[in-house]
Amino acid sequence: MRLFRSDLPLAGDASARFLPWIIGCMVYLAALALAGALSAENLAGRWHAELAGRFTVEMPPSPPSDEKEAKLRDITGLLSKIDGVTAVKLVGASEKAALLQPWLGGIELPDDIALPDLIVVEAGKAVDLAKVSVDLIAIDPAIRVDDHANWHGDLLAFSNSMTIVALIVLSLIALTAVSTVIFVTRTGLAIHRRVIEIVHLVGAQDTYIARQFLFHALRLGLAGGAVGAALAAATWLGLQRWLSGGNSGLLPSLTLSTGDWLAVAAVPVALAIVAMFTAQVTVLILLGREP
Amino acid sequence: MVLFENVNLRYGDGPAILQQVSFTLAPGSFHFIVGASGAGKSSLLRMMYLAQRPTSGRVNLFGQEIDQLKRHDRPLLRRRVGVVFQDFRLLPHLSALDNVALPLRVAGVAENKIRDHVTELLRWVGLADHVDALPATLSGGQQQRVAIARAVITRPSLLLADEPTGNLDDAIAVRLMYLFGELNKVGTTIVVATHSERLVQQFSHRQLRIEQGIVRLIPQRSEAA
Repeated sequence: MRLFRSDLPLAGDASARFLPWIIGCMVYLAALALAGALSAENLAGRWHAELAGRFTVEMPPSPPSDEKEAKLRDITGLLSKIDGVTAVKLVGASEKAALLQPWLGGIELPDDIALPDLIVVEAGKAVDLAKVSVDLIAIDPAIRVDDHANWHGDLLAFSNSMTIVALIVLSLIALTAVSTVIFVTRTGLAIHRRVIEIVHLVGAQDTYIARQFLFHALRLGLAGGAVGAALAAATWLGLQRWLSGGNSGLLPSLTLSTGDWLAVAAVPVALAIVAMFTAQVTVLILLGREP
Repeated sequence: MVLFENVNLRYGDGPAILQQVSFTLAPGSFHFIVGASGAGKSSLLRMMYLAQRPTSGRVNLFGQEIDQLKRHDRPLLRRRVGVVFQDFRLLPHLSALDNVALPLRVAGVAENKIRDHVTELLRWVGLADHVDALPATLSGGQQQRVAIARAVITRPSLLLADEPTGNLDDAIAVRLMYLFGELNKVGTTIVVATHSERLVQQFSHRQLRIEQGIVRLIPQRSEAA
């Protein structure tokens, strides 16, 4: 308990009232930024996992006929023989309807709507798609092979952008926290100049005084941070619930793993530690400048 | 113990407060610093408790040159000096006990040893019933006793008192001087700054008399005879 006792009346300062609110707001923003980045990364990871090792063969829409059935058999036969291919699956009508559901809603598709035929191919190892395309075009020149490379690239760029934005936001918030704590600490030193002088005169080292500011900042940082983190968690869970309750499958689900939640929970602690050491270093520097 | 050699002091571009001050205080000695108000008594004491650097000259405390002290070493030296300030300088937000305990806490004394030790000393100075009182609730005399307890709690080698009897009636002032005398007998070097000639005449101790910035050492009566 001795570590937390204070000989300086810091708890009565105006800073003791407003610093927790500032830290709370900063933790709120930082936690949401981090949660957003982690969620985007998870989303990209999920999509990547779903698409990795797969490619899709698309045959343009055409009315049912024996010739079309024969082409599909040839295509699936050709694909099945490729080295490394583990599964070849023709996407059925109900599955195609499910794929369109996010865009069209739950309406029933008319029978005469023309949809391309899709064949999903899973491969355990790399497949020479250029050669596969050439072979398939021999069956039907309109066939297209999509390895989702463009989609993957966009996904990765999106995920990386979100991470960079989150890092920028976190850095700015940390910088703001440091500046605020420096200002508050300087003010505290000025307000308590006379008390600090007496504490010095009875033999206190600068580190003894700095320690009191350090624990003061830690206490305020943790108090404000806890409120900010709780509000951020409530906001995030509300957003998650709202998105999952919507009818549109276009909206992503904002899921966080246990590890992600722990990372978000570490934000207030990290900010409190930043505040703590900023206060200590500020006191040591300013007292060290005195004659 | 304390050595001043050709010490000069002035604040900024102001007039000289002290000029060419040279004296030595032997360990276990008792000195009065005497002079009119504004003569420089407090300034002389401030240099002894390292709150003021001389403008020029040499000050040596406990064998250490103060102008060569590193910032980190200064508190260690201050812990060997007890100071009773003229205005007490108690911390208003701390109880009498915590005020007296302050020098022990900054010196890193274990908390479980502090309370008993401080309570005993407060009882000794007659404040057993005011251990948890804030300074604002104490009379001037009681505050002064808290200040004295804080100054002696660490058993300092050098005790400096700036006008310690200024707020006390004559009987308590004499009692306080006897208390300083007791501390002196157990080896503490005492320096008391006062403008009270009556007090100085009452006790036969050496004097550092300041007049117009010049300090003269006046031996005690027995030495003079």
